[in-house]
Amino acid sequence: MNNYQCVVRLNKPSTVTSVAYTHNTRGTLLNNEEALGRKPLHVLEKIRENLERLNDKMEVMIELQKHGRKDIQPFSDTPLDVMTLLSMPDHLRKTAMTICRCGRATAEEISEQTTRARAVESAYLNQLVIMGYLKKERKGRKAYFYADRESQV
Amino acid sequence: MSKIIAVHSYKGGTGKTLLSVNLAATFAKQGKNVCLFDLDFRAPSLFAILKVENAECYLNDYLNGTCDINKVLIDLSSKIPGGGKFFVGLANPSTEAIRDMSAKDRKWEMRALGRLLSLRNALLTDKGFDYIIFDTSPGLQYSSINAIVTADLVVVATTGDRSDVDGTRRMLRELYNLFEKKTGLVINKVLDAASKTKRDEMDEKARTVYQVPMLGLVPCFCEILRAEGSFIFVRDKPDHPFTKILYEMTRKIEANQIN
Repeated sequence: MNNYQCVVRLNKPSTVTSVAYTHNTRGTLLNNEEALGRKPLHVLEKIRENLERLNDKMEVMIELQKHGRKDIQPFSDTPLDVMTLLSMPDHLRKTAMTICRCGRATAEEISEQTTRARAVESAYLNQLVIMGYLKKERKGRKAYFYADRESQV
Repeated sequence: MSKIIAVHSYKGGTGKTLLSVNLAATFAKQGKNVCLFDLDFRAPSLFAILKVENAECYLNDYLNGTCDINKVLIDLSSKIPGGGKFFVGLANPSTEAIRDMSAKDRKWEMRALGRLLSLRNALLTDKGFDYIIFDTSPGLQYSSINAIVTADLVVVATTGDRSDVDGTRRMLRELYNLFEKKTGLVINKVLDAASKTKRDEMDEKARTVYQVPMLGLVPCFCEILRAEGSFIFVRDKPDHPFTKILYEMTRKIEANQIN
């Protein structure tokens, strides 16, 4: 199975719902929450968050492979100003320009503006994070991206 | 729809400020609420054309993060009687301020871009302005490129001067295209603009040389030169052909005919 197939599988809701139920000794299907109390739900949430993080990382790896790592210089100390935007490859510039306009957005919101797939935008946004131009913050299940202009003094 | 408009050019003296002021005034005359900003920090001029002596705060201060945008805005709605709101934000014309703005580093410019981008929410969404117009410095100045990135539409003023034609063409290809900006071309100071042959020639030039839509063709009017920037042309000369050209430009922008 290649990386891309892995990403698709992790996104399938059935992967999560399948672990939300279990069988008792008589073969009756029980909800995990009923069977094990509330605590395991938090564990499952944590697993889901970790899987999403893993998903993000794999998307970045796919992009790195696709572009042969040529255009990714990790942790640049140059600011995300207009000259940096001009020097970026076209596919990253589009994403960076959109996040500049939006201020703070999820990959889903950026993909609505650029009309590219969410997974593609997620990969580009993560590349920009690796390059040090954007910051990423998780709130529950959503990952928000933004250019932290004020702290880059 | 284009709500933020940057007026830019490759060379100086192409009529950017004349276009910016009259474009803003034409929108205001039609009842639109307009904010006009002087982003030409190296050669500020709106204060002189609009006869504003002292501003509480300048756009320089807002971009420096030392004051709120509301303190920069000056209400000049009384200059356009019966129209919409007409506010301006001036660049500081003092020599010290010009020198200070010329010495800004890349990180400052990055924060300035963030502050310009935040004007969309602060003025269009929260304060109900219909249009923001940036009068920029010519060429590839940081402040101008920041304005271009912020804008929805860039109005490029050019003339028939050979060096201007070549530079403008390169700027369109190497700057605007990279930012995927909607661009409208205004060819200014055109001689013999009344003849159909000349107009066709200019249309062909916009299509083939610049490869952008034509927003307006402005003949070389002696009356504009005689006015010496001492009054708002579209307000004081409502029947002049220049005023009609400006109305046609605003109609095209409103109708979203520039793509």
